[in-house]
Amino acid sequence: MTRELLDLMGIDKERLVLEWVSSAEGGRFAEVVTSFTQKIKDLGKNPLGVAA
Amino acid sequence: MNIEDAAQATQTYYCLDCGVCTGSCPVSRVLPSFSPRIMVEKALLGLGDELLKDRDLWSCLTCSRCFERCPSSIDFPEFMRLLREEAIKLGTQPAYSHHGMLQTIMELQTQGINQRKTDWAREAGKVAEKGDTFFFVGCMPYFQVIFRYLGVDSLSVSQNIIKILNGAGIEPVVSDDEHCCGHDMLWNGQVETFEKLASHNLEVIRASGAKRVVFNCPEGFYTFKRHYTEHFGDLGFEIIHFYDLVAQMFEEGSISVENGVGPITYHDPCRLGRMAKVYDGPRDILTRLAGDNFVEMERNRENAVCCGTSGWANCSTGSKQIQVERLKEAQATGAKTLVTACQKCQIHLTCALSNFEMDLELKDLTSLLAEAIT
Repeated sequence: MTRELLDLMGIDKERLVLEWVSSAEGGRFAEVVTSFTQKIKDLGKNPLGVAA
Repeated sequence: MNIEDAAQATQTYYCLDCGVCTGSCPVSRVLPSFSPRIMVEKALLGLGDELLKDRDLWSCLTCSRCFERCPSSIDFPEFMRLLREEAIKLGTQPAYSHHGMLQTIMELQTQGINQRKTDWAREAGKVAEKGDTFFFVGCMPYFQVIFRYLGVDSLSVSQNIIKILNGAGIEPVVSDDEHCCGHDMLWNGQVETFEKLASHNLEVIRASGAKRVVFNCPEGFYTFKRHYTEHFGDLGFEIIHFYDLVAQMFEEGSISVENGVGPITYHDPCRLGRMAKVYDGPRDILTRLAGDNFVEMERNRENAVCCGTSGWANCSTGSKQIQVERLKEAQATGAKTLVTACQKCQIHLTCALSNFEMDLELKDLTSLLAEAIT
């Protein structure tokens, strides 16, 4: 639903990610965060001009 | 504006201490600690600061039933609104419902987003980019996504309006750049956000070259009619509620309907009824659609009861109680369909109805009309 709302607002829905990581999966957590951070950096500044 | 000014602006000094407000208040019925009369008294006794910190400041539905009956014409809802502006400055805010999602969307709209929310309009019929008639859609595209789980189909109402307008030879302007009218932010005490949303909407409408703006949402209609003019002066275009336009179409003979719906009853939205004084337009349509099968609820027109929450804030067990009572009242008329004219009423009453078995269907007036057009 949040993705659909972002789409209506003209915000790239790729900027939202939802992943389940168990507390036992420390390595995976780091991996998910690192790859998403990289993706956001690649996408560049968000179109809102706030909280860049 | 301080409390003194708010009291002045809404004439609370004329309070006779009669208590008609509290006796009329749907919140006081279910939450006895809430009393408009005591709130007015407190302000008059110089205890206004207490009011600003009181949670009850946010419990008022601003439904205007008290104002309607007050012998001194004290505009209590407006008094609450002005106090809320002060409370926001002090850092208090209401408990937002739906996790504050709707307020977040409204705030984001003031940050220069490029919305893509009019695909549904082109699917429904012919729309224009510039023209004489602007159709102010309001929050329906967002409601469609957020309240899909309740089975409420808000956008179909907007689509039906485009179909009906097209049928009468009107190609309305719909715009991706249209923002929320700011009603909820205004009643949540966030007047700055309201002004940002409102001035943007005025720019968009003026740029479209529209001479008149059509509303289906009672809140949008009332907010433009009263608060836009209060904040921005002459708007430079006419505002008209869709039902008034329908009345004109009936007069011109550009639409005709089949009579055969029923039995139905009608819930007056507070913004459309008590606030904008639109009582007869919807009833004229209902009578054309259902004839004698249209029956009134016990509390109707200026006595109608609110749908239980307002401004996407403070939805409580009290709200639920108000909603369930209203649904039972509708059922007691013998009607099988409760017709509403506001998508928020529809959403709130549908939510209440989903909790128990009741042989009652909720329907939007515009959709009912669209189905009966011949």
